[in-house]
Amino acid sequence: MRQRRWLIVLMSPLALWLGLLFLAPLATMVVFTFRAGSFGPEHDVFTLENYRTFFGNPTYSRLLLSSAWISFVASVLSILLAYPVAYYLAFQAGAHRLTLLLVIIVPAWISFLLRVFAWKLILGSGGLLNIVLMAAGLVDEPAPILLYSRSAVIVALVYSYMPFVALPIFVALQRIDRSLIEAASDLGGTGWQTFRDVILPLSMPGVAAAFFLIFIPTLGEYVTPLLLGGTEGLMFGNVIQSQFARALNWPLGSLMSLAVLLFTLALLAVFVRLVRLEDWVQA
Amino acid sequence: MRRHTKLYNRIAFVAAIWLAIVLPAACGQPAAEMGAAPETQAGADSLTILDWAGYDAPEFWTQFAQAYPDVEVDYTYFEQDADALAKLQSGFQVDLLHPCSSWWGLYVDAGLVQPIDTSRLKNWPDVVPEMAKLGEFDGQQYFVPWDWGYESILVRTDKVEEIPASWADLWDPAYAGRLSIPDSAEVAQVMAAVALDIPNPWQTTPEEDALIKQKLLDIKPNVLTYWTDASELSQMMASGDVWVAASVWTDTYSQLMADGVPVEYVDPAEGRLGWVCGYGISSNAQAPDLAYAYLDAILDPESSANLSNQFYYGTSNRKAFELADPALVSLFKLDQPDVLQQTVFYQTMSAEHRQKITEMWDEVRLAP
Repeated sequence: MRQRRWLIVLMSPLALWLGLLFLAPLATMVVFTFRAGSFGPEHDVFTLENYRTFFGNPTYSRLLLSSAWISFVASVLSILLAYPVAYYLAFQAGAHRLTLLLVIIVPAWISFLLRVFAWKLILGSGGLLNIVLMAAGLVDEPAPILLYSRSAVIVALVYSYMPFVALPIFVALQRIDRSLIEAASDLGGTGWQTFRDVILPLSMPGVAAAFFLIFIPTLGEYVTPLLLGGTEGLMFGNVIQSQFARALNWPLGSLMSLAVLLFTLALLAVFVRLVRLEDWVQA
Repeated sequence: MRRHTKLYNRIAFVAAIWLAIVLPAACGQPAAEMGAAPETQAGADSLTILDWAGYDAPEFWTQFAQAYPDVEVDYTYFEQDADALAKLQSGFQVDLLHPCSSWWGLYVDAGLVQPIDTSRLKNWPDVVPEMAKLGEFDGQQYFVPWDWGYESILVRTDKVEEIPASWADLWDPAYAGRLSIPDSAEVAQVMAAVALDIPNPWQTTPEEDALIKQKLLDIKPNVLTYWTDASELSQMMASGDVWVAASVWTDTYSQLMADGVPVEYVDPAEGRLGWVCGYGISSNAQAPDLAYAYLDAILDPESSANLSNQFYYGTSNRKAFELADPALVSLFKLDQPDVLQQTVFYQTMSAEHRQKITEMWDEVRLAP
């Protein structure tokens, strides 16, 4: 009984936090999706008009899918790039492990906006890429190569979120019992076999965590596509922003935000069904 | 309409919106009660102004400071017009507010501003009538126009072979992949309408809507990217990513010139676009007398000239250009009376129209 009381005391700040800053706003948002206007008399009118607008216009659902695709590609690329780094840190780096870990994290200390903007300078007409290409005689006139496109958005997202991907994978690899690896080689497994059959499956929970750690925030991204996306790389966050900040249509903006949330939850549910994490661990 | 804001400010704005939605709900109070506590006295010792950042400069209201040395002027800032309207709608307590012309009608419709007795303003006769007209609703003056400026085409003269002579020229394939237009439904709508010779972009028929949408889809091959704030655009023009940009403000032009970037500010055949902003007196103003005194102080020719010299904007006072920097006056033709007839000023826009063009712009931007 006493323990339980302590548990309640310890949990209540978190519960309060979640309730006040997550659940209450979420409920407000859901209520707003049924309102006819942001304020004034229309504020109190119940309507399904927003749902008609949203589902009646294929532009929005198409954008949600293409944004999810951008996030998916960015997540997969980040994991592919981060995995070897995490592997090296966990198994090879030895005493330098902490220093190297710091090196990976340091860029995240710089303002996010600044790092996105830096890509404009690197890929832009007067940028590093063009200077190199000009010097090599590959192009005659500087042009914003790769910039203002979906690829530019993916490149910048991968760059920005990579540190967050490397960490959970590193932790998962770190936790692997070394005797399992020794046992694998005792039984005649080659390096590749050991990796494929022992290390990789055991690190999968870390990879899955990393995937969602990057997929969910990038799906809501708005700054990176705004600065680098040009005419083809816009994401769902951008239309939400224009409903709130330009059209002053909070009801439709709320519905769009809700749509992203439900979409992400649905993906998560499917993922959990398909890939049972415990199976990976037991394998 | 103003885009010379920084991106991080926009992020803060989104956060602010969240708070605005969340707090009233969390406290279980109607939104109207959430504003600052009202002043106790009508003959108050302070004046509250909802304004754009930068407009608090003392040289804009010296007469007011001299007449009322003990009155404290409190500024609250907003980043975008939508932000200001949302604030007022949720019961925010101010005396004066400073939105731009295309939003004025929404304040009047919602009863957020009170009619202004212009006979109480001694500088009112010097206000340009065309601009005064924009602030008039149902025969009453609700807004006093003060600052205005151009939005036009800016060109890197060293990069393009032919400088565009009109808005319609922006569709020329010669600028393929080198044009930047603002990420704004309102500007896109007006720009396309002007190029199509549609007389009133603020009230369009369904046929005109279809034409405008198609016109904007047609310009996409030319568009490299949509620009969102003035400093971002400056960087893209200076670096040479963008050669032609639409709807650029005069301050960006003068800044790039000062930096030695070869640019020309076009005088398009259809006329430049023009933004106008001005002050309204809130319907729940606590210090209306002080508000009138403040309005008269900013309308003073000298205060107005100070604004022109500082921001490279025009002002509504006809006498101000005589006192402003002559180079500035000739550059922007501030002294030519017919310039106002040639300029396409943003008109007031209904909420429905704004919603319609936002959806249209989403569809254009997101078209494959």
